[in-house]
Amino acid sequence: MSVRSPTVREGKLRSLQPTKPFAYARASDTAFEMEQMKPVRFLKYAVIIIALLLTLAPVYWMITISFKREVDQFALPPKWFVFTPTLEHYADAFINRSFGQYLFNSLFVAVASTICALVIGTLAAYALARFRLPWNLDRKLALWILSTRMFPAIVTAVPLFLIMRAVWLVNTRVSLIIVYTGLNLPFVVWMMRGFFAEVPRDLEEAAMVDGDSRMGAFWRVVLPLVAPGLAATAVFCLIVSWNEFLFALVLTQTDDAMTLPVGIAGRVTQYGIKWGAMSAAAVVAMVPILVFALSVQRYLVRGLSLGAVKG
Amino acid sequence: MSSVDSKKGVGDWVSGVGSDRTIAYLLIAPTIAVLLALTIYPLIYSIKVSFESSSGTATLQNFTRLFTDQFFLSALSHTFVYAAIALTVEFLLGLGLALLLDSQIRARNVWRTMLLVPMMLPPVVVGVVWRLMLNSNFGAVNGTLKSFGVNADALTWTASPKLAMASVIIADVWQWTPFMFLILLAGLQAIPREPYEAALVDGSTAWQTFRHVTLPLLKPAILIALLLRTMELLRVFDHIFILTEGGPGLATETLGLYIYRTAFRFSNFGYAAAMSFVLLLITNIISAGYIRLLQTRET
Repeated sequence: MSVRSPTVREGKLRSLQPTKPFAYARASDTAFEMEQMKPVRFLKYAVIIIALLLTLAPVYWMITISFKREVDQFALPPKWFVFTPTLEHYADAFINRSFGQYLFNSLFVAVASTICALVIGTLAAYALARFRLPWNLDRKLALWILSTRMFPAIVTAVPLFLIMRAVWLVNTRVSLIIVYTGLNLPFVVWMMRGFFAEVPRDLEEAAMVDGDSRMGAFWRVVLPLVAPGLAATAVFCLIVSWNEFLFALVLTQTDDAMTLPVGIAGRVTQYGIKWGAMSAAAVVAMVPILVFALSVQRYLVRGLSLGAVKG
Repeated sequence: MSSVDSKKGVGDWVSGVGSDRTIAYLLIAPTIAVLLALTIYPLIYSIKVSFESSSGTATLQNFTRLFTDQFFLSALSHTFVYAAIALTVEFLLGLGLALLLDSQIRARNVWRTMLLVPMMLPPVVVGVVWRLMLNSNFGAVNGTLKSFGVNADALTWTASPKLAMASVIIADVWQWTPFMFLILLAGLQAIPREPYEAALVDGSTAWQTFRHVTLPLLKPAILIALLLRTMELLRVFDHIFILTEGGPGLATETLGLYIYRTAFRFSNFGYAAAMSFVLLLITNIISAGYIRLLQTRET
């Protein structure tokens, strides 16, 4: 994440070490930290702890609701820690209700659309990173591809619904796979274009001198080198497809096509909400995403800013 | 925008070789085809729909109606209020946290990871989380207030016309402050040491250093974070749909929700398409503004 390691930074600083607490000096040197006035240090950590509480308590609260019996859910004062845990809501959501089916739909759509976007997008990214086309076409195409991602989803949701309805694809998983492929494609192209640009082209040229074809060099030399980037890009696509709500809401309204977010939302907005089952479904929707997201932390900044900020 | 462009030039595979050029076009073609089919074609289709009345005859009605439709105008103002407040709060909190974690602190990466959790969650889950937190009967917020002896009965949050907007903004701030924080922290950590050392030697105060060293050097990261957030805020849909569905009444109905309702509840696709072009126009104007700011800095 950090561009330079702190130790390198500090080497230069030693002679200039400030004598008073200097809010914008930046080093994680322990000895240096000790020099800070105690109250300042205390305040810093206090603010961080409060921020963490505000960040994590709501999620924790939802998790407890999913494990609480109904008497405990409605208890006053709220029971944060002590309650009898139960798995009844998970059983209710995934056995009695259709959340198992929604979960499968979500997985299926996310994986299929990610594979499609990766295959199509990686090829384009390689071409845009390596070949110079006449009239700067390569740059213009790359920018155009990026600009398609800037469309608000609601702008394309209306016509896409009408188009999908006309070709009888509404309420199918296929419609979502198609839409999510398009949604992820610009992202794949930009991320992978950056990763390809970091591979020295001498490597491919050496392979080609040895008799490999252009695409052979791509397949055997370049692709293995960008594998970590490819994996990170795949995880980002999975997260986007898994989390997406608007298109899923518009395009899938039946149990055999609906994704998990739409299923959950359907329960939230009805009367007589089963809070436990809903929380259980939400926890299940959340856990794989958190695991995935943690695995791509290194690429998070780059992914979220489409390569505009290098983390 | 990217380092890819700057590396262009020396040693590029120039398009002189015919077969290379063919390979390049073949590789790019599928992407272009998919994007044409899934963004440009729908957009053109949408233009056509917006000029049709519900019976299918050509009309300008969908656009003239925009100026007199109270619901549209109120949705527009809700959108701006929501975006402006959420953007300001997210930026200030995100910047504060980023500065805090950029200063000397132990276990920085542990804090950072934990602070990022809300940003990862599916928006629907965030909606559920805040429904549970803000519920006036058993929600943790009111429950906690009550256990401190505060009379929270009047705080009905998402059900109250006055507090509903605050509720959806709270949920947005909770989920997206980490995004601001992450981008700004990355920006801060990419700033070289030297300007700070120079400021130190010149004896500038912490505030002066922040104002004249940190802020100018952080400006690109700030602009990118603001740009990306603004785009998302203007098209907001998910949180509000789950938390209030635009209600109570129309208190939290933003443009995105009104377009959705017009198209998928009232099946008035033409008018929905016309409104979606207004949204597109607004986001384009604002993003063009940001991009101009970004470019002026670079030259």
